[in-house]
Formats: sequence, structure tokens, C-alpha cells
Amino acid sequence: MSAKKTENTVVVRKVVRRKMNFAERTYIPEFAKGLAVTMRQFFKNSQPNVEKRDTFTRMYPEEKTVYPDRYRGHHRLMLRDDGQVRCVACMCCSTVCPANCIHITAAEHDDISIEKYPSVFVIDELRCIMCGLCVDACPCDAIRMDSGEHIQPFGERGEAFLNRDLLMSKGSLSMAVQGGENG
Amino acid sequence: MAKAIIDGTEIEVDKGTSILRAAADAGHEIPHFCYHPALSSPANCRMCLVEVEGMPKLMPSCYTQVSDNMVVHTKSERVIKAQKAVLEFILINHPVDCPICDQAGECKLQDYYIDYDTQDSRLRSQKQNKVKAHAIGPEVVYDGERCILCTRCIRFCEEVTETAELTVVERGDRAEIRTFPGKSLDNDYSVCVTDICPVGALTARDFRFKTRVWLLTSTESVCTGCSQGCNIHLDHFRNEAQRYRPRFNAEVNDYWMCDSGRLSYKELHADRLLAPVINGAEANWYEVCRNTANKLTKAVEAEKNIAFVVSPQASCEDLLIAKRFTDEVLKTDSLYLGGKAAGKADGFLRQADNNPNRRGMEAVFQDRAFKPFSDLIEEIKSQKVDVLYMMGSHVPVDADSRAEFLNALSNVELFILQTPTQGDLSEMSNISLPSCTHAEKSGTFVNFDGIAQVFQQAFAPKDGALADGEILTRIAKRMDVDFGYKNLSEIQDTMFNIPEPPPAEVAEETQTEPSAE
Ligand code: SF4
Ligand code: SF4
Ligand code: SF4
Ligand code: SF4
Ligand code: FES
Repeated sequence: MSAKKTENTVVVRKVVRRKMNFAERTYIPEFAKGLAVTMRQFFKNSQPNVEKRDTFTRMYPEEKTVYPDRYRGHHRLMLRDDGQVRCVACMCCSTVCPANCIHITAAEHDDISIEKYPSVFVIDELRCIMCGLCVDACPCDAIRMDSGEHIQPFGERGEAFLNRDLLMSKGSLSMAVQGGENG
Repeated sequence: MAKAIIDGTEIEVDKGTSILRAAADAGHEIPHFCYHPALSSPANCRMCLVEVEGMPKLMPSCYTQVSDNMVVHTKSERVIKAQKAVLEFILINHPVDCPICDQAGECKLQDYYIDYDTQDSRLRSQKQNKVKAHAIGPEVVYDGERCILCTRCIRFCEEVTETAELTVVERGDRAEIRTFPGKSLDNDYSVCVTDICPVGALTARDFRFKTRVWLLTSTESVCTGCSQGCNIHLDHFRNEAQRYRPRFNAEVNDYWMCDSGRLSYKELHADRLLAPVINGAEANWYEVCRNTANKLTKAVEAEKNIAFVVSPQASCEDLLIAKRFTDEVLKTDSLYLGGKAAGKADGFLRQADNNPNRRGMEAVFQDRAFKPFSDLIEEIKSQKVDVLYMMGSHVPVDADSRAEFLNALSNVELFILQTPTQGDLSEMSNISLPSCTHAEKSGTFVNFDGIAQVFQQAFAPKDGALADGEILTRIAKRMDVDFGYKNLSEIQDTMFNIPEPPPAEVAEETQTEPSAE
């Protein structure tokens, strides 16, 4: 503490309030006005036409959100023409993944022209940071995040491990030619 | 001697040196596929073409010898054009299935494409289809489409193993590598062809699709399969060894290693003992050291017969501690020889002695006499051994004698076993102590030739395992003997301290990196 006392420099500002008239002081008409605003909003926002409402919140999940085209949603594994998994277990995605959440076990395929496929492909969605790098890294257009669905809440930790078959169930065919155009 | 100027660098080399080697000495890399320093040069891939002043055509540098006053350009316009042409030619029928190919990441074609080519494919026709995933031998898989026909594999089988199983069949764009009729690529060194194959045409069945090479961490180590002690790269991922790869050492194994040694990495993880066990119950190290120390103290005070089995599988560092442990703690001189039973030598790398460190053990224990293991069995049978302390769970005897040994063990009052693995022996022991494998510690092995070779720790010990020397040091401390070593290098300084004559054969680690591979 310094020996010298500093001067008190607090400035007190006076707020000049508007004088209320008699009607205002009884509160009754003002109260009715307020209720009117509330009721107007109530009826406006409960009308069947969603577009005409004033609300910013949505009745999720009955009412679906429209996501932008490039929204990175639930992962999916794309399929070959015959419905088998497109992925060749090159592990580019699991290598690039900054969250380290893709686990792949490669295996030898009976079909010699496929040669290698993932016998295990698990994404730990709770660890995933939705960066989309796995999609960029894939040389085979085998993994995508364009399902338009966001990840649903999980009740248990184990449910967040999305396995290959579940990811494939959201999959579809790809335009890319597997093995390259001259393959 | 011949003097030449390569890319402006003046260099003097022995007569007969190829331009490629001379350029490597001068610090200029020349790309090459078919040339391998340990094999002959057929000059068939043409990747190594260089311009030599005064010569009308480009010369293959792997084959052309340096002559006096030669002026060589390795990066001239003509050379670059030729390199691009060669790569484009190779890639005509190459499938470029890198996502599937195990070689991706250590592939010469990938590397050279990035370094010397990087042009888009101009090919608009269908590629030749050839054999895929063909079992060319029990340990090796061949992919005809990826093969660039450099013939390194053929020359390896002709010149190194001299078994000559492989040849080229067909001509032109249908040419492929095959075994001669009735043969299969099943010599004892067959997996070496996967190391020298510059592309992913030959892959090891064991390593196939296991992981990707860019995920591996490589540690310089030594193979423990036999007393040759081949230098290896121990490639591991997430605390697990994935493969062994030979590491060049001209004095020991050159560029090679045998198949059984290569697959011996599996022993590192099989049936590991994970925690100390006292009479069937798991314990922690504090408890087990105190318990063992108490029992051993009583045994020493009562002047019981204590037998100690020394393992030539252990490193010199651990063996020095073991020597001091027997001298200063157990005060016993009944030392017996453990380790693995002898196998067969094959005249090339594989030695009959399956223990990596017998010479090291002899050097550390100097003039101490070891009794053979069979004597131990006899002595246990005639109840002459009260306490048995064993390093490692290998016994250098045949199956019958081993069974005899196991039966006789009930005669022993106290059996302490220090081992990395679980098994019948650890079940019969009163106390079993989990020890590290050589991948989990650093140390020194001395091979059959007397060359001391250092190996490095690759990953952390599995669960509760400790290095052999560390276990003995902890027990000794509980028995009031402090060996006084603070770190490994202090042990290394004293372990070969033999007064006279100096150990000429125990040379320092001798290694040179290959200048060109
Ligand atoms: S989106 Fe990103 S974090 Fe999620 S799996 Fe793909 S790479 Fe990993
Ligand atoms: S990058 Fe694509 S092909 Fe490779 S493992 Fe991932 S999903 Fe499969
Ligand atoms: S050999 Fe090399 S270039 Fe060819 S597919 Fe394999 S990694 Fe790719
Ligand atoms: S298999 Fe490999 S080593 Fe043998 S010729 Fe083909 S590319 Fe060369
Ligand atoms: S021609 Fe020289 S390395 Fe192949």
C-alpha cells in the first residue's frame, strides 16, 4: 500500500426518468398491451404455414433441417456395382485423420481383381471432428460425408463405433471408375 | 585410379568403378532399378542413362566404367528426356494400384515418378492384364502387372542363393517372372527378393496387407535367430513388431537375412508373461523382489546348493549383472548353460548355434566354467540342487531330456525363473519374473565371429516386464548388494574388461551405410 491516499474519482451520474402519466401508473392498460403482443406472436407462430411464422427454432426431429449441399454429415462407405464395398483398405484416410478415429483391418479378397478389402472398418464418431480430410484423402471415392444426415446422439459409448456394414448401408454407387479409366 | 568429372565434381576412383557408384561417391544420385550393389549388372532397365562427353549415345551408368578424363552429365536435357521416356515406358502397362500395393511408400517407381517424371499418362489404350497375387513360393506372392522386369529377383536366386528357381517367360509386354517347371521359390532366403524388388511385384506373404509402411517406425536391431546376428531394421507400429528387414552390414550379413530369422519377430509377442507370479498368484515387483530376496538370503545363509542357469540369449549387459549376481549375491559357482538347442548351419548366413550371444557370454564370464545342462538334470535328479535360478525358459536339450527335467523339478526346493514367455516351465516355477525381449531394451550381442553389435530399444516393455539385468539388480538391492550402475553405458564400459590379452575380436560396432542400393 502506498502511503499517500488517492483522491476518490468516482463520477455519479443521475438518470432522469420520464414521468409516467396516470393511466400508466395504474399498469392496467399497459398490462393489456403486453398481453396483446404475446397473444399476437402466439397465434402467428402456431399457424400451420411454417414459412409465415416468426420463429428461429425448429421442432426437431419432426421438422427436418435443410443442410447446405456441402454439409459434412454422417460418414458413408460407397459401393461397387455389385454392392460390395469400394474401399480397398489403403489406409490413407486413417493415416490422415487428425482425430485418429478410423480403424481398418485389411484382408485378402477371394476375387483376385479386388485383391484387398477392409474386413473391419470402424469410425469412432464421437472422436471424429468432422474435418472431412478422410474424404479428401481417399483415392477410390470410397468414403464420403455427403449423406446429409448429422450424427444422432448416442446413448452409450459403444454405439458411437460405426462399423462397416452400417456405413455401407448409407452408401451408393460412385461415378468414378474403379482402378482408373485405362485399368 | 581414374579421374573423372561428374556434374562438375572432380572425383578419383579405382579403375573398374561404374559411373553410378562414382557419382554416388561424388554426391550425385542416379536413379536405377535393375542395378543392385550385391548383384551383377545386366543394364536392362535403362533408368540410369547418363551423358558422357564424346560418346554418341547415352550410356547406362550402372555398367559403364569410369575411364580417365571422362566428363559425365547426369542432369542434362538429353538425360532428363531419356529418364521421362523410360518411366513412361515402364508405366505403359503398370497398373498403378498403389492403394492396394504393399510397396507404396517404399516404392522406387513411385519415388522416381515424383522425382523425375510427374507427367500425365498419354496412354489411351487398354493395359495388358497379367497374373495377380500368384503364389510364386510359400512365402512370396508375385504380381505380374506391377513387375518392371528388372530381373533383380532372378539374379538373387542365381548369384546369392545359387538355387536358380526364377526366370522370365514370354516376350515383350507379355513377359513375366516365373519359376522353372516343377520348382517353387522356396529357398531359405526367398523373402529377400521382396526387399530387393524395387516395386510391389514381389511381396512377403507374412507382411502382406498387415499395415502400411509409412505407419512403421524403424529401429536398428539385431536378429536373434542364430549366432550370425544379422543386422536388421525392426519395423514396429504401436508397440508391436510388424516385420524384420535386413540392414546392410558388409561384415555380417551383407544385404540379406534368412526366412526363419525374418519370421522370428513373432516370438516377441507370443505367450508373454505379463506380471510377476509367486506360487501361482500375480504379484507386483515390490512384493516379488522382497519375497525372492528373503528366500535367497535364507538359502545363502543356510549354505544350500544354488544352481544358476545362464542364458546365451541374454545381452552382454544383462550377463554382466548376472555374473556379479552369482559372484556377490548368490556366492555360487555352479553355473549351467541355458539357451536354445543347436540347429543346422547352411553354409551361408544361418549358423548351427541358435543363441545370438554365446561369444558375448564367454567374453563377459571370462574364465568361469559352465556345466552342460544335462549335468543339471542329473544333479536335480540326485537331489543335489536345492535352489534353481534360471534365466530364460529355453533349454538346450531334446524333448525327452526336457520332459525329464520337468519331472525332476519337484526335487528342487525353490525354482525361480526369469522369462519373457509363459509356458510349462513358468507354471512349475515358484517365482516367475517377466523379462523383456531384445526389442524392449538396448544392449549388445557378440556374434559367432566375435563382432559386438549394439541393438536399440524399439518400444516400451510389455506390461510389467523388466530387463534381465534390472530384475537382478532389484533383487540384489533387497539383499543389500548395490551393483552401482547408473545407466547402460556404465555397464558397457566394464563388461568386456578382460585384463590380458585384449579382446581383438570384440571390435566396436562396424557399420557403413550402403552408398547405393
Ligand atoms: S472427418 Fe476428419 S476426424 Fe472425422 S473421420 Fe474423417 S478425417 Fe477423421
Ligand atoms: S482412403 Fe478410401 S480406399 Fe483407402 S481405406 Fe480409406 S476409405 Fe478405403
Ligand atoms: S509398385 Fe509402386 S507404383 Fe506400382 S502400384 Fe505398387 S506402389 Fe504403386
Ligand atoms: S519381380 Fe520385382 S525384382 Fe523381379 S523382375 Fe519384377 S520388378 Fe524386378
Ligand atoms: S540399366 Fe542401369 S540400373 Fe538398370
